[in-house]
Amino acid sequence: MQFDITIVFEYIPFLLEAALLTIEISILAILVSIIVGLIIAFFKISKFRILQKISDFYIEMIRGVPLLVQLYVIYFGLPQIGIEFDAFTASVLGLGFYAASYVAEIFRGSIQAIPFGQMEAARSLGMSYFKAMEKVILPQALRHSLPPLGNQFIITLKNSSLCSVITANELMHSTSRFASVNFAFLEFLLVASVIYFVMTFTISKLVNLMERKLSVGERRSL
Amino acid sequence: MVETVKQPIIKVENLNKKFGDLEVLKEINLDIYPGEVVVIIGSSGSGKSTLLRCLNQLETPTGGKIFLEDKQVNTEETNINKVRQELGMVFQQFNLFPHMTVLENIMVSPVSVAGRPKDEVKQKALELLEMVGMSEKKDQYPLMLSGGQQQRVAIARALAMNPKVMLFDEPTSALDPELIGEVLQVMKKLAKDGMTMVVVTHEMGFAREVADRVCFMDNGYIVMDDSPEKVFSDQHDNDRLHSFLRNIG
Repeated sequence: MQFDITIVFEYIPFLLEAALLTIEISILAILVSIIVGLIIAFFKISKFRILQKISDFYIEMIRGVPLLVQLYVIYFGLPQIGIEFDAFTASVLGLGFYAASYVAEIFRGSIQAIPFGQMEAARSLGMSYFKAMEKVILPQALRHSLPPLGNQFIITLKNSSLCSVITANELMHSTSRFASVNFAFLEFLLVASVIYFVMTFTISKLVNLMERKLSVGERRSL
Repeated sequence: MVETVKQPIIKVENLNKKFGDLEVLKEINLDIYPGEVVVIIGSSGSGKSTLLRCLNQLETPTGGKIFLEDKQVNTEETNINKVRQELGMVFQQFNLFPHMTVLENIMVSPVSVAGRPKDEVKQKALELLEMVGMSEKKDQYPLMLSGGQQQRVAIARALAMNPKVMLFDEPTSALDPELIGEVLQVMKKLAKDGMTMVVVTHEMGFAREVADRVCFMDNGYIVMDDSPEKVFSDQHDNDRLHSFLRNIG
């Protein structure tokens, strides 16, 4: 047996198609994580203890259990009590809610890092709490949360490979299927790695670009 | 002889403020009349900033009443966001919004809170920038400005809401000495134009020159509330005030 990369070539269109599904799952999961993460972050900084507790519980629970276990619970466990998702939806929800526990902490940290005087100044101008959040706090906080968010987006995209075990037909799923049929693991995994790398590198560059766009008004150096 | 009875624009009755067990304000009574410039002095920890911050409810009083004109400010029923539009505030640390240009800083609240038309607000903002001498910097971001420039923009920002009263919380204390003058200059101009102002400051020169009344606070009480001539003279026997004035030189 030897290494023969050409065996992969005829599968490339199928791999790219699977990569497209990876992208779809990841983008939707990232959106879910941003929305849920923002809500959980707001719970955590709210003055109501019950909301703080819910937020703590969510973050500790979701962050403390392996993603693989959670995907199994959603796809194989929940149908037992009558809740069924197809593999795609289960993947998006599993990845999204999992990442949300990290995203919530990123948002909370960057909101709390904004000096309190900003909120006071906004309130003293007659803004409501939510108006002040919208106009003054969040625009600054989001800018500061971009670098760690970028990390989280990349992690989420890579985590999507775990969804292969719940039969989502994404890149890792296709890769292992073609690899075992042809008994060419190294070749297919190598190509899959390259495709994953291109996707994560693109995210990384996009986040850098957004950071530069949003860094108006900031001091250029420390 | 008929004399019109002037109504105070701000009335403070028996105001108390506690932080835990620490009583910071004790039985404060204070009337501020339209057009008056009231300067509050006192050593740090005497409660003067807390008093100012109670006026627009950045601090919630523990007891007592605060009225703006005839509306009580510190009740549940009061829409505090409406009240605050009448009370402009200038902070020691300027607190400009760093992600907005100078012009955007000034326009954000009149447009998004008061709902005034953008064109009109911009016109007004440009006039205010002219007034504080910052027209040329209108498209700059705050962190590119000096402290004195930032504070002048902060004053313009507060004025853009057309407040009835301006509150100044140690507006020059974070400034390099050579930048203090330009901010005081703007404040003097405001006072001359008839703005009602409550100013917490250590600038005794400003108090002497501009104030209609000077309140000296000590240990949570207003222990003296009189004309600057009287406060800065020997015509009183308040030892605490004498030693305070001696110490700050």
